[in-house]
Amino acid sequence: MRSVAGIGLRSPHLAQMVRERPATGFLEIHAENYLLSSPALAAVEDLRRDYPLSVHAVGLSLGSAEGLDAAHLERVVGLVKRLQPAFVSEHLSWSRSGGRYLNDLLPLPYTEETLSVVADNVDRLQQALGRQVSLENPSCYLAFGHSTLSEPEFLSELVDRTGCGLLLDANNIHVTAHNLRLDPQDWLRTLPGTAITQYHLAGHAVNDADGEPILIDDHGSRVSDVVWRLFAASIAQFGPRPTLVEWDTDIPPLPVLLEEAASAEQALQDGRQHGARAA
Amino acid sequence: MAPGLRELQAALVTQLLSASCGESELPIAGDSIPAAARLRIHRHHVLSSLSKALAGTFCTVHRLVGEDCFKSLSRDFVQAEPPCGPVLAEYGATFPFYLDAHPLARELPYLADVARLDWALNRAFHSPLERPLAGADLAHVPTEELPLQRVRLTAGATVVRSAYPLARIWAACQPDAPEDDVELGVEGARLLVFRRPDDAGFVGLGEGEAAFVSSLVPGCSLEEAAIAAMGVEPGFDLPLAFARLLALGIMLRCSKDDLVTG
Repeated sequence: MRSVAGIGLRSPHLAQMVRERPATGFLEIHAENYLLSSPALAAVEDLRRDYPLSVHAVGLSLGSAEGLDAAHLERVVGLVKRLQPAFVSEHLSWSRSGGRYLNDLLPLPYTEETLSVVADNVDRLQQALGRQVSLENPSCYLAFGHSTLSEPEFLSELVDRTGCGLLLDANNIHVTAHNLRLDPQDWLRTLPGTAITQYHLAGHAVNDADGEPILIDDHGSRVSDVVWRLFAASIAQFGPRPTLVEWDTDIPPLPVLLEEAASAEQALQDGRQHGARAA
Repeated sequence: MAPGLRELQAALVTQLLSASCGESELPIAGDSIPAAARLRIHRHHVLSSLSKALAGTFCTVHRLVGEDCFKSLSRDFVQAEPPCGPVLAEYGATFPFYLDAHPLARELPYLADVARLDWALNRAFHSPLERPLAGADLAHVPTEELPLQRVRLTAGATVVRSAYPLARIWAACQPDAPEDDVELGVEGARLLVFRRPDDAGFVGLGEGEAAFVSSLVPGCSLEEAAIAAMGVEPGFDLPLAFARLLALGIMLRCSKDDLVTG
């Protein structure tokens, strides 16, 4: 797929999208919101005739030590087969333990044990789908003291072991780097660029944690300047890729979201021109 | 020694669902932001996102009790009965029963029934739209065979019963509703909830109609459903009720599969 910018399709915009069909590169949906029949699924099936789709799963819990939930996996596979999206992605995180699901993208210790768990789960997912899946770097609010690998090292190993793609979320890099006192440029340097299939952009909030600012990946505002700069640096380092603008809380009118996607499109365009000049 | 991944995840789930997120035994790196403050971010997200999901599913309950009360009710429910699957629209089946047993039920005895109506609407909304039985489908059936026809409800269609005037309570909770008091104790409700092309809705049923509809399970014939209806309402007008239900599009002829699985 061409390196274009697309938007996250959220329920408040569904009817307007079906009616007006504004120009945008692709539409992303969260798999777990479309596993049941509904008028919303019917709308997505209608829209997929005009837009490439990205199915972004949030509940497969690829980091769960107890493995994948077979019933849930089967439903996600069914949805992907039905919608035939351009992309399928999930997160480097977990949400399920002992049959309980916490509806969060919880952090993992980056150890050899975790690597083997995640690689097994990603293998199983890719086999069930019969296609490559891209893994998104999470927003982290805490780190485990017994981690032996950095996050980019972990992702790099995972790519080697499973052949998965990487979904690079520029906002998540900024949030994680701020919260865990890391250097985002260092973070980017270690990453295997050829595995990157897609970029994500979103806004974040600044909260107070016992008197210290902590960044929250709330997808509730415009992309911040610092994240736009990180995005431009990623394009300069790895090249343009299809890019998604996500907005999940305090969802604005559709034109605002399309405006953000147009800015992403411009950054991709600038990156292409810069890349062409550099070559 | 650091815990294995499975133990770590089990401990973290317990901690995130506990009443408070105090000092943690988990190997979380702390600095100027202590480990407990970092954990609280996840705890807040788990409780608030699931509470918001419940507010979406149980929107009438939410409007009825107000934001603060719903937040407290739903957060307690999340801690007591966290989801066992990742699909938010499937979370909350037991919330009405939780409300039955809640002290608030003494003050608002109809609250759990309102939750049952919300849940039925949610289930209907997330059911496939099936092509219902139409009058024309029965045109070729000889009159004497009509009573033997086996008919079931379309996916998501269900009857919600209450000793309270649920439809009026629901209407009073809608965003544009006038601020009229709903008189309780005047009559109960028998509501048929069903999927419509663009949403889910409900209509009130008479006692005979409710018995008739409730009998439309795979294997049961129209005759048996009519007998059930007449059992509770001797004057039950079958042709009138059948025409009304046909027009609502909530019936389907049973297939062989229905009879096997039903």
